[in-house]
Amino acid sequence: MRTDPDAVQCLISEDDFLKFQEFFYRKTGIQFENSKRYFVDKRLVERMEATGSASFRSYFTMLRFQATGEELQCLTNLMTVNETYFFREEYQFQCLVGSMLPELTTRRAKGLPIRIWSIPSSSGEEAYSIAIYLLEFWKGLAEWDIEIISSDIDTKILTAARQGLYSARSIQHLPARLLKKYFSRRDDGYQASMDLREAVEFTRVNLSEPADTRSYRDFDIIFCRNLLIYFDELSRKAAAETFFDAMRPGGFLCLGHSESMSRISSIYKIRKFPEAIVYQKPTEAR
Amino acid sequence: MAIIKIPKTQTVSSDERVRPRDCASLVAQLSDGNPVARRWAARDLTECPEGTTALLERLKQEPDISVREVIFTSLTRIGHFAAVLGLVECLHGEDVALRNEAIDALKQMPDEVAPVMHGMLKDTDSDVRIFAVNILESLRHPQVESWLIEVIESDPHVNVCATAVDLLGEVGSSAAREALVRLKGRFPEEPYVQFAADLALRRIDED
Repeated sequence: MRTDPDAVQCLISEDDFLKFQEFFYRKTGIQFENSKRYFVDKRLVERMEATGSASFRSYFTMLRFQATGEELQCLTNLMTVNETYFFREEYQFQCLVGSMLPELTTRRAKGLPIRIWSIPSSSGEEAYSIAIYLLEFWKGLAEWDIEIISSDIDTKILTAARQGLYSARSIQHLPARLLKKYFSRRDDGYQASMDLREAVEFTRVNLSEPADTRSYRDFDIIFCRNLLIYFDELSRKAAAETFFDAMRPGGFLCLGHSESMSRISSIYKIRKFPEAIVYQKPTEAR
Repeated sequence: MAIIKIPKTQTVSSDERVRPRDCASLVAQLSDGNPVARRWAARDLTECPEGTTALLERLKQEPDISVREVIFTSLTRIGHFAAVLGLVECLHGEDVALRNEAIDALKQMPDEVAPVMHGMLKDTDSDVRIFAVNILESLRHPQVESWLIEVIESDPHVNVCATAVDLLGEVGSSAAREALVRLKGRFPEEPYVQFAADLALRRIDED
């Protein structure tokens, strides 16, 4: 694999990069700034070599018009980092307790619990991070009940999530105080406390299967981060529509930092909070 | 108050999804006064190709954007020939949003669109021919280049050719070379065509 920056940039011109940047954003919602130029070029060259493309132009044509879309998916996987850990993209949890929940609770009659859906659950880091954040940083918990439901298509990963066993790498961003409070040391890592594990309901759901998602209703906040980038355009749009139906009017949808709903669907409002940009089902929608 | 756990997810006993889900009932629910019922009906009609005509009819009058989006998604998923023809028909309308959404939907259906692409590129309305080229812009189909060559070889309208030559500048191979040269000869007084064709030729030669 070539790694020399000059060699890489010789293969991909400024014009090529701009074209690719625009195309990739249109297809995936992922926007690469110019500062990411080397990161992008390096992966493009890697795929050009792997596919035997003689030039960027021939690779780009294949990427755009390949009937299976396989290469675009392969490149997308390469351009994204599939890794989850506690407090990943923490600014959204700050937004949860600092902006979204305060807004939701001002227009909500008391009595009904606030419902949060975290999908995909993967091994549970996101859902447990939400629980920790609420317990630690949201005073409203004294007045409101909250439900956290976390779903995944993979039953094995759901079992792992329920067990709550994590490596040192997974918990590395947790402050020591919280680690001590919510986890116990095990020979092979850390285990979430029983209280924490009981705070989250893990369920199996295939987001692309309407029969599975039918009963998922009345959510106030949905976290769906770094999943839609792996879907094709049609599935991504269908997922956005599924979330729309799964949410209460005025509910919030949080995507990954490199994802943009604007490229997927126009049925959501963009909300710019001090901590994060999220998407909202209009309060007047039904 | 606390973080609580309710053993089951919400039931649907009290909402619009409990209405009958057979195809005829779903078609009827497309006209329901409640957009939630219409949205659910449109989504569930994905399983009913015979509901295509009803979905297309509803599209023309549906005021709720969220229902409209679901109708487009369902039509794309159905991928039925009638769905494609109905979406192509949207290109003839005056509703810009509907047209753009139809173009986006058609881009997602390369195999289904391919049999009608030739007809779209020969439409009597030059705007529709331009929309057809717009669809080619990201249609995953091996014939894209040959369709574009066909356009620049034969389309009498300069704007249609200019749209096609722009795209050929990005995706054209040596197969487009002669057609690009002939295009310059067909529109000698059109500076943009000359410029775009030269650019496309230069890019092809660079390859």
